[in-house]
Order: sequence, then structure tokens, then C-alpha cells
Amino acid sequence: MVLPPVAVVAVFIGFPVGAAIAYTLGKTGGPNSTVALIAQRQHVARHGVTLAAYREVLGNSHVRGDLWATVWVTLLTIGVVVVLSWAIGLYVRLSDSWIARTVSALSVIPLFIPVVIASYAILTFYAAQGFIKTLAYQAGWHSFPTLGYTMWAVVIGEIWVNVPFGVLMMSSGLNAVPNALIEAARDSGASLPRTVRSVLIPMNVIPTVIVATFTGIYVLGSFTVPYLTGPSAPNLLGVSMSQFFQSFNQPQQAEVMAMIVFVLAVGLGAVYVWANMRAARRASQIS
Amino acid sequence: MKARLIAVVIAVLVFVPAAYSAGRTAHTAKRAHAGTTIVVYASGDVNVQQLWQNNIIPHFEKENPGYYIKFVFSPHGADDGTTLARIGAAVKGRHWPGIDLVDAGLVTTMALDGLDQPVSKATAPNLKKVNPALLVPVKGAAIPYRGSSVVLAYNSDHVKSPPKSLADLLTWIKANPGKFTYNSPNTGGSGYSFAETVVDSSISAADLKQMDDGYVPNLENEWSTGLATLHGLTKYVYQGVYPNGNAAILTLLAQGQIWMAPVWSDQSLTALSTGQLGPNIKLAQISDPPFTGGAAYLGVPKTAKHKKALYKFVNYILSPEAQQMIVNVMSGFPAIDIKYMGSAIQQKFEDVSANTLRPTFSTKMGNDFKAQWQQTVP
Repeated sequence: MVLPPVAVVAVFIGFPVGAAIAYTLGKTGGPNSTVALIAQRQHVARHGVTLAAYREVLGNSHVRGDLWATVWVTLLTIGVVVVLSWAIGLYVRLSDSWIARTVSALSVIPLFIPVVIASYAILTFYAAQGFIKTLAYQAGWHSFPTLGYTMWAVVIGEIWVNVPFGVLMMSSGLNAVPNALIEAARDSGASLPRTVRSVLIPMNVIPTVIVATFTGIYVLGSFTVPYLTGPSAPNLLGVSMSQFFQSFNQPQQAEVMAMIVFVLAVGLGAVYVWANMRAARRASQIS
Repeated sequence: MKARLIAVVIAVLVFVPAAYSAGRTAHTAKRAHAGTTIVVYASGDVNVQQLWQNNIIPHFEKENPGYYIKFVFSPHGADDGTTLARIGAAVKGRHWPGIDLVDAGLVTTMALDGLDQPVSKATAPNLKKVNPALLVPVKGAAIPYRGSSVVLAYNSDHVKSPPKSLADLLTWIKANPGKFTYNSPNTGGSGYSFAETVVDSSISAADLKQMDDGYVPNLENEWSTGLATLHGLTKYVYQGVYPNGNAAILTLLAQGQIWMAPVWSDQSLTALSTGQLGPNIKLAQISDPPFTGGAAYLGVPKTAKHKKALYKFVNYILSPEAQQMIVNVMSGFPAIDIKYMGSAIQQKFEDVSANTLRPTFSTKMGNDFKAQWQQTVP
């Protein structure tokens, strides 16, 4: 009974991915013949395969600049999102005040706002005449930097978009830790930081890994936030990819970039799988 | 139980998108009539949609009973890529692509890749009123039906005498750091036009003509002088950034953050009339060389149906009556020679001297140019 889903995945995902990989290696026949008819500056393999497209893209210093920008924005976003969502999740777990409930409700709101609208809002908020800069100016800080159209606006946007998912995952993970464990630790004289370090963090590893990997994969492939709020160059690979695909009419180079993003995402995916396997192994050892 | 659940989930996954897309197509369709139905695909902003949906199509259908137009619109060309692939595959397989007439940027690509059916004066007599130079870059395989040129918009509160030539403009940009920018060429035609104009100014007329008419990659190294000039401007433009999209520039102008920028004539005239741009924003054209203009082209896929009805429709679009709608609805300017239009039209375009439609690079040269700009300028 596993066959129909496998068939759907094979037809709708496997086949296009296979065709795209073949195209990046210079195979322009069969399912790639239509795209090859229109594309410019493509590398065609007459016999076997060619890595010329990969050499061209990776040899392009601007693409490498975009790649590094993508990597550091991804890592920074992962770091901030994990810390922020941990902090909010922990606060909500340990405090039952109305402030805690309000904070947790507010932190989920970005989930319901379309990314395009959010990006425009972030751009205006941090622009040269935006709210933040005006506020800083009124407070006497005249040299406050303009963040709109910089990588910082992109990082802020990516964090804004990813925090709700992080908070949801962390709160549910932390809520699954039995109160008895926390109380037992406190009763034996453990301080709050010690309880967090020795009880809550080890019990919440899997949600943390999920938040980190999913945030990373989202940022790697994101387009709207960097397109609307980012600088002209370098920008994230998602933006360059669409430029190569649409504006420069170089789909082969765009697909090579997609492969690079895919490899980065696989790296993150591997961390996720490793963490899951480790948890499963531990669970089987205990039982 | 589990098997049934999986089956239901798959059925939903497969059929809901299919039913949705089918419903979307049917939504714009006229119900089956005895007459001939032509399918038109257009992409662009709402002004393009209005032109077709509320003006050209209802008038044509009223004047020609028995002819029906099914209109498919793709906002901002979001479906252009898939449409091009669809037409390409259909023409290769020699069957009907489901579209008979295309109004989108992809038409020039279709024309150069041999996917278009050339339209001749014999089939659409009004084609003889069109400037023949506009047919060269598309090898006669697409029909120019409206035009717009790029003009210089400036904030008259701060700029009393706008630059008259390209050299003056470049001097002004350096004298007023942070008060000028243009959108990145790969995201909109107005910024593209500025970039190309700077590059064109250092290329010989003969080579430029080759770049406008065909694909000559070995001439691309002549762009380096102009691209270096453009790169030199980066430290003088607004925050050193080239925003994405024509509309982003209009926003910066309207907010007073920049004082001068290249903009589309039709888009800015519409923005001025709706109040999106204030009355302090004025338009002017530069010379030596002027900004490029562009024609929007219609394309007929080789395997389109109902060709006879289609040519009748194309001929109608090129009639002075339909061209007048282009002027009225979107402040565009006519593709047919202005002498076929009333004297009111001739006056209307005098102040932006829009009838100098300076041709632009051919599509493939343009694609390479955008790529080189992205590599060298920002």
C-alpha cells in the first residue's frame, strides 16, 4: 500500500529533479529540449556529461559572493531564531502570567501575515525616512544607520518570518517536559539555570534541531524577503537564481545554483536525521 | 482504513490543483457560442488588464458579432515562464497550445526562436501604418501594438532646470549624491533603459544597430566603457542601491527621497493622473542619446487556431480607434504612425517627445546586458 505515494513522489518530484540534474550536466535532449531551445549561454555535452556549467557558476566571483552571503545570513538567522524561540518558549513554560501569554500570542502573529506585506513593512520601517531612523534622530542619534536595502534588513526579515514556527515548536517541546522532573530538580536544590541546563535542554534537543534545520532550509531557498529588502549585490542565492532564470535567460546556470542550495540543504537535513536517529537509539536503550 | 485514507489524500492532491486551474481558465471564458472564440494571453500590470478587458475586447466583440475573445491575464507576468514552455512544447509537437494571441515580454523570445507565425500586411492591412523599424528586431514575426518610452522624472521643488542631455544628467548625479537612482535593469524597463543609454553613448552607430537587430555576443566587450561609467555612479546613487521594480522608483520619487529618476512615460503619466505622484513631479526627455523606448509586441503561436478570425482581431487592434484606447486608458502611445491619429494626440506627446522611439537591444542581447550589469555595476 506504499506504492501510490511513492509513485506520486517519483512522478511529481523525482522526474523533474532528475531532468534538472541531467540538464546541469549538459544533457539537453528529451524532457530538457524545450528549455534548451530557448536558453542562452548553455553548456551542451555532446558525449557523456560536462561539468562546464558548474565550473562557470562556481568560477563567477559574484555568485561566490552571493553564496557566502547566503551562508552567513542562514547561520545568523538560525542562531537568532533558536535563541529567541528558546527564550520565549522558556518564559512561557516557566511563567504563567498574562504577560507570558501575551508574548507567546504576539510571537506567533507573523505566521498570519503574508511575506510580501511583511517585507514591504520591514523595508519602510527601517528605511531612510522610516520609523526607527526617525525615532533615533529624535533621540539625538543622528548617525543611526539606514538598514533598508542592506543585508541586515534581510536578516531581520528572515528572523521575523521564522520566529513563529520556532516558538510553536519550542513551546510544545518544553510543555512535553513533565512538571515532576522540573520540581524534582528544584527540590534537590538545583538553581533555575541549572534546571534549564540539566533538565530542559536535554529533553528539548529534537525540537531545537527541527527549528534550526527548517529555518536554515527556509532561508536558503527564500526569495521574497531578500528580493524586496536586500541590496543590489551581493544578495541571497534565491534572488540570483531567479535573475539567471528569468532576466538573463540562463536556466542552466540557475539550475546549477539550485543544486548548490540543494547540497547545502542536504547538509542541514543530515543534521536533522542524525539527531532523530540518536534520539531513537537512546529511547531504545532506555526501554 | 489506512489504504483508503492514502487514496483519498492522493486524489485530493492530484485533483484539487487540476480542478482549480481548470476552474480558473473557465472563469474568464465565454460560454460555448456558435461563433469563433480566440484565446488571448496577456501579462503585465493592471493597466494592461484594463486595456484588454474593459476596452479592446468589448469593443471588438460589439462590432463583430459572432467573434468571442477569451482573456487570460497573468499579473506581473508571473506565468510567463510556464506559458513560454507550454507554447514551445505545443509548437514543437504541432498541436494547439490553448492560446492564440500573446501580449507579453515572452513574445520577442517566441519570435526569435521561430515559435511565432509572422503576420503580413496581406492578412492585417493596418500593419502598413506601423513603423517598419519596429519589426526588424523581431524579424517580422511579432506585431508591435503599443509603445512607451522612458523619460526623466524630476522633483521640481528641488530641481529648477533639469538636465537636457545625458552628459548633463551624469554631471547632475555626481553633483547631487543620493538624490538619483534607477531600478536594477533585470527588474524593470525604466532602469534598463537608463543603463543601456549610458552604454550606448560609447558605441558606434553601426555596431549599435547590429545589437538592436540580432544576437552578436562578440560585440559585448564594447559595453565595458559604459558599464565602468555606471559602476562609477554607484557611490552617488541613493544609498548605493538599485531597487527592484519600476514601481519602487516611483515610490522613492513620491516620498521625496530621490529627486530624479528614469521612469516609464505611461506608468508615470498614469501615476500623475491618479495622484500617486504629486504635481511637483515633472517629466522631461534628454538627448544625446535619448532614453530608449520600447514597443509591446503581440505574437501568434505557429499552431494557433482560427487564424482568419485572429488576423481580423489583430487588424482591429492596429486601427486608429483601438490605438486611441491605448492612449486614453494607459497613457501609452500608438504603435501606428502618429499622422493616422488626431491632432490632439500629436500635441499630447509633444512635451515628452515620445515619438522618438529609440530602439533597444534585441531580447538576447538585452538578457546578456542585464547579466553583465549585475556582475559589474552594484
